[in-house]
Amino acid sequence: MSFRFQKTAVLRHETVLLLVLVLEVVFFQLAGRNFGTVDNVANIVRHSVEIGLLALVMMPVILTGGIDLSVGSLLGLCAVLFGKLWRDAGLPWELAALATLGLGALAGGFNAALITGLRLPPLIVTLGTYSLFRGLAEAITHGTDAFTRFPERFLFLGTGRIAGVPTQAWIFVAVGVAVWLLVHRTTFGRSWRAIGFSPEGARYAGLPVTRRLVLAYMLAGLMAALAAITYTARFGTAKADAGTGYELAAITAVVLGGTSIFGGVGSVHGTLLGVAAIAVLTNGLSRVPATMSNAAELSGLLTGALLIVALAGGALPGRIGARRRKEHPPAVGAPVSDPA
Amino acid sequence: MKRHFREFSVTGALLLLLVSLAIFAPNFFEPQPLLSRLTAAAPKLVVACGIALVILSRQIDISVGSLFAVCSLSAGLLAAAKLSLPVAVLASVGLGAVGGALNGALVAVLRLPSIVVTLATMVMWREGLRLAQQGVFVNLPDGVQWFGLPMAAGQGIVCGLALVVLLALAYALRFLAVGRFVYAVGSDAEAARLAGIRPRLVTFGVFILLGALTGLAAVMNLVQSPQVDPSTGRMLELEAIAAVVVGGVAVSGGRGNLWGVLAGFLLLACITPALTYLDVKPYWDKAIQGAVILLAVVADGVRRRKLNR
Amino acid sequence: MFRFLALTLGLGLAMLTGCNKSGPDSAAAPAGGSPAGKRLTVALMPKSKGNAYFVSCKQGAEQAAKDLGVELIFDGPVNPDPAKQNEIIENWITLGVDVIAAACENKDGISTALKKARDKGIKVVTYDSDANPDARDFFVNQATPEGIGNALMDEAARLCGNEGEFAIITASLTAQNMIEWQKFIEARRVAKYPGMKMVALRPCDDLKDKAQAEATTLLSAFPNLKLLMNICSPAVPGAAEAVKQAGKAGKVKVIGLGLPNENRRYVKDGTTDTVILWKTVDLGYLTVQSAVALARGELKPGATSFHGGKLGDFKIAGDNILLGEPFKFTKDNIDQFDF
Repeated sequence: MSFRFQKTAVLRHETVLLLVLVLEVVFFQLAGRNFGTVDNVANIVRHSVEIGLLALVMMPVILTGGIDLSVGSLLGLCAVLFGKLWRDAGLPWELAALATLGLGALAGGFNAALITGLRLPPLIVTLGTYSLFRGLAEAITHGTDAFTRFPERFLFLGTGRIAGVPTQAWIFVAVGVAVWLLVHRTTFGRSWRAIGFSPEGARYAGLPVTRRLVLAYMLAGLMAALAAITYTARFGTAKADAGTGYELAAITAVVLGGTSIFGGVGSVHGTLLGVAAIAVLTNGLSRVPATMSNAAELSGLLTGALLIVALAGGALPGRIGARRRKEHPPAVGAPVSDPA
Repeated sequence: MKRHFREFSVTGALLLLLVSLAIFAPNFFEPQPLLSRLTAAAPKLVVACGIALVILSRQIDISVGSLFAVCSLSAGLLAAAKLSLPVAVLASVGLGAVGGALNGALVAVLRLPSIVVTLATMVMWREGLRLAQQGVFVNLPDGVQWFGLPMAAGQGIVCGLALVVLLALAYALRFLAVGRFVYAVGSDAEAARLAGIRPRLVTFGVFILLGALTGLAAVMNLVQSPQVDPSTGRMLELEAIAAVVVGGVAVSGGRGNLWGVLAGFLLLACITPALTYLDVKPYWDKAIQGAVILLAVVADGVRRRKLNR
Repeated sequence: MFRFLALTLGLGLAMLTGCNKSGPDSAAAPAGGSPAGKRLTVALMPKSKGNAYFVSCKQGAEQAAKDLGVELIFDGPVNPDPAKQNEIIENWITLGVDVIAAACENKDGISTALKKARDKGIKVVTYDSDANPDARDFFVNQATPEGIGNALMDEAARLCGNEGEFAIITASLTAQNMIEWQKFIEARRVAKYPGMKMVALRPCDDLKDKAQAEATTLLSAFPNLKLLMNICSPAVPGAAEAVKQAGKAGKVKVIGLGLPNENRRYVKDGTTDTVILWKTVDLGYLTVQSAVALARGELKPGATSFHGGKLGDFKIAGDNILLGEPFKFTKDNIDQFDF
């Protein structure tokens, strides 16, 4: 199985996903009410920025064969920290936002330190921090404190438009392009992929495995902080419950986008398509008269079905990747390398 | 001692917690609440044992919480329709097994990654249930709670069932060929195949077993009150997985045992009530829970690193 | 990669032309104040779906929608994510509904979205829990947070003889309206019942089983406990079952906010003393009635009374349509209700 074949297989998965997306759009345009309006498209984009940002950085993490369950909780913690810094420490919001980004990256670094330093499984480490980060957010605010009345300039980030496009969409596009370049056009991306294929191999090939992993998890922390800021700016309120369950939504989008949960295979544009397919589905279902009152439940149900169909489609004969042929797939979120 | 460091350390941590409770909050050991707490924890332990098997075979299942709710509700509706209790129990276990088989088929036959498959089935079971039941409680007829027996007997049965499941699985894992197959498949499926084991059959079987155990656990939970809450089982998967990994089962499969799972489970299950007894403010709950999980794995990581030097 | 880019571009173009085509359509279809002859669309939002309380509100709402011949949409978040409420409201704005009726999880957060809806000419009422006053036209008021807090605290004090320890079981520490209720419970306690002491607050994640476990622990950790106050509905039967199993029925009182069907058994056998709630079916009915009247221009700001269809007349205080005092379900009256 050559590298070339892998690449075309990935491309094919994305083409299929693109087709699904087109079908969704056509269907909802025909069956839904006011689906294709400018305002509604803006809604779809605005509402998918946080999950989208998290998915964009979850993708490199999964590419290395890892996983990060803590991003949703970290979003909550960062929202609270941002509010604390702005309201209680009296920092201007720009500075508070910068500091929050730093703290987010630091929290990601904490995950990375445990994962690389002690060679602990990412699944377990981030399961622990999933609880820890949310717990800290609750402890800081006692669960009850909410931060509101942010300055208009800040809220513009989440509710305004620049050139007709939601403000946070510009941020999303910038991050998307940056992550795409990072994954597909730099040696960082190649080393993440290599680590995902075989951490030991990557090590023997002389790649700085630890540093590359730290980068991936810190990026995830940084982006959780950025998502916390766009979330707060859109919602106007920061509270300890922000971002509950977002980690699963992000993982779903990444996997639907064709990234192998075992690492090594995947693309950023696939992830973006995954985000879009879910966002359009959720939005569209709330516009078809027959499903309007069950949109919330049905979108979950159909996303699950889509996920299984997309993966099963990929597992059909001829589409089985090299790694799937082996009887022994790597465990998800297992240690970077199992110590003997 | 060296081989079972993790099991010993978690047991040690549990004992430490219990001793400090005995000193600072002796009420913790009042028989009635203690027995109630054990009975309430028993179904979760059964699920955790099932999850341990799945993780030992190098897979994972995050759909158990949703499946648990589906089984509880189905059994509850059957019981409310005045069908006899054994029918409801069988239906719950059977439905659980079918749910497990669905996961197992997708994982073993189509060879899809278990975390993604069960992520999908988790959402699908939960949302399907929400569509069907909309959160309305099911009131059970008399004679369902505690299997129609006095409370003490019912509690005895529930705790006894959990103990039987635990011991049977522990015995099978250690002494029966099928149990060793689980370890073999989890450690190296290719080697297991060459040794004549059929890894995919083992994987399939483990998922079915977990499903059936989930159905059984649903019944064990159902009989503890006269109503079924359709939201039940939310976050059960995380509680069970946390207990299993804190108990020393490696997520990379093939390593760990049920003794550790029991210790990890009890440790985590004691923390939340312990905080109430020690009068710690509730907003520390999650942070402490997370810290304990991290401490358990970090301690192990640090020790392993020292050994490797 | 280039093929992919080309496809994406193609899709983008297709979507854009789609927008251009439907843009004018949507502008032509007025968002609010629909022309005569077109069926009104009422969008009703619960705090969360899969919640028995809101299911019974929905029953009443559906009845009202049928009586009035309007279209009813019922959607909300499936998990406690307050930002999700905003997303759904923003989607309803672009969908072009005529009137939105929302039960608000987070007052400040949702007000932004509701204001946006009003700017587009959509009428807004709130029910169950209010938004900021400038974000809606009317609040269908079944009870204010203050009214709920006072009712709970008064009842607790009455049952305990004005002194003793009590504990509260809540859904989660972050649930906004429960935070407000606790504030008023505490204020009432300080002002009127200094002999009462709140010894613990425990979250039960809105799960009955967890509430049962929390109550079991509370009963033993605080042996002098005289009363359990449950401010989320699954906690009431959970706590009652725990009290019963501990053999403390009657010794430790149980009160809370809940539905009659979930608590009937415990109220009748005396474990649960009082369940406080309102007629939720009526709340849903009145909400849709007033929403439609508002959209049709029959209900205007400044009105002092409102005719709520088959339910008769309701008083309006300011911009609050009053459903009436919270109702106390006790042993004597609980059998008259089925929801």
